[in-house]
Amino acid sequence: MAEPTETSRTARTPPLPDEAAVIARAAGGDRMAFTQLMEHYQSACYGLAWRLLSDPDKAADATQDAFIHAYKAIGGYRGGIFRSWLLRITANASYDIMRRAQRRPTSVLPDPEEGAPELPDPHAVNPHEEAARSELYRHLESALRLLPHDQRTAVVLCDVYGMDYNEVATMTHSALGTVKSRIHRGRLRLRELMAEHRELFTR
Amino acid sequence: MLNQDHPDDESLSALAAGDTDALNDVASSAHIASCDRCAGVVAELRMMRSALAEMPDVAPHRPLRLLPPVEADSPGTVDRLGQWAKRLFAPALTAGAALAMVGMVGTALPGLSGAQSGAGGAGSEDTRLQVEAASSQAAAVSEGQDMAPFATEEIGGSDSGSGDTASQATDAPAYGEGTTAGVDEGSSRDLGDTDAPGAVDAFQAERSPWPMVLFAGIALMIGAALLRWILVPRAT
Repeated sequence: MAEPTETSRTARTPPLPDEAAVIARAAGGDRMAFTQLMEHYQSACYGLAWRLLSDPDKAADATQDAFIHAYKAIGGYRGGIFRSWLLRITANASYDIMRRAQRRPTSVLPDPEEGAPELPDPHAVNPHEEAARSELYRHLESALRLLPHDQRTAVVLCDVYGMDYNEVATMTHSALGTVKSRIHRGRLRLRELMAEHRELFTR
Repeated sequence: MLNQDHPDDESLSALAAGDTDALNDVASSAHIASCDRCAGVVAELRMMRSALAEMPDVAPHRPLRLLPPVEADSPGTVDRLGQWAKRLFAPALTAGAALAMVGMVGTALPGLSGAQSGAGGAGSEDTRLQVEAASSQAAAVSEGQDMAPFATEEIGGSDSGSGDTASQATDAPAYGEGTTAGVDEGSSRDLGDTDAPGAVDAFQAERSPWPMVLFAGIALMIGAALLRWILVPRAT
């Protein structure tokens, strides 16, 4: 599985300086303004899709789908944090692709708890770039991918992208109690997986 | 501290996330304050959550299309009209061409067959019969032209004594028995106010549909082409 290189990792995208005005123009049908917004947030959307789907091509497809949904929906955007609005759309698009993949047995993502643990593809990692990566994030990315997909989805949406339990429950069509349980179990499993890199948290 | 006093791991996770229910659990909070093991788990989970919340964005591995194609828009009224114009163009053009062709043949055929120019437009059997009747009437009228004024005067001034003229006298000036013999009533009405050759031309021009068919066909073709040119967007 291809991992993002150090150069492709970017800090969390801050809002545009004149974001409200750009959003208003985009909502009014200004295609250039919409393009500006999507260009600005594409890494945020792609990162979410990639963490949910663990596949670069599916993540790109999900991001494209999200842009189309956003284009249709931006006329009805009613304020709030635009990044969160766009990420919710991306999460839904990713979840749709995930469900389609689950309906096709050949595309099912492996569940590490049911078989051999899924290890990062050593051929996909450039050793020269690996040295320059942030160790903590790299290990966290790897540990996330070792979670069962329902726990990974819940942890990524809740802890990485800050959605609340109700949002995650709605998005994944699951009961609130189920979502909470998945998140707690996912966090504890992550903690176990990160045990040998514990010192990275305190650096 | 006894193990059975430890909150379960999910409660520790909820505490690390600051969930209201877990924070309101006095027993768990009190336990954490006095248990190094549980306090360590909660602290570790908090640091992990903090790291997860700061995980960087990821640039796409390939360029993405930032703007959906225009086709994603629902077509507007103009687009829909354009689609209709495009769809109807070929049938309308064909129908126009067919009409024009029929009109042209219909107009030209009597001339080609050697008929008199005055008889143009006689296509059907009925029309031909009417034209023949009109021609014979014209001949009859020209023969009786000298008589007609006298006959009219006679009728106007005296009793005609004729059974047929009684009915004709109500609609038109009678031509006398000699004039009206062999001419049907409708034709005599048409010819009543004018001289005979002019009446025949007008009659034939009115009854001939072929120039109109030709004109309608050409108009249909021009209209279809104009609508297509106006409504269908052209590639730039």
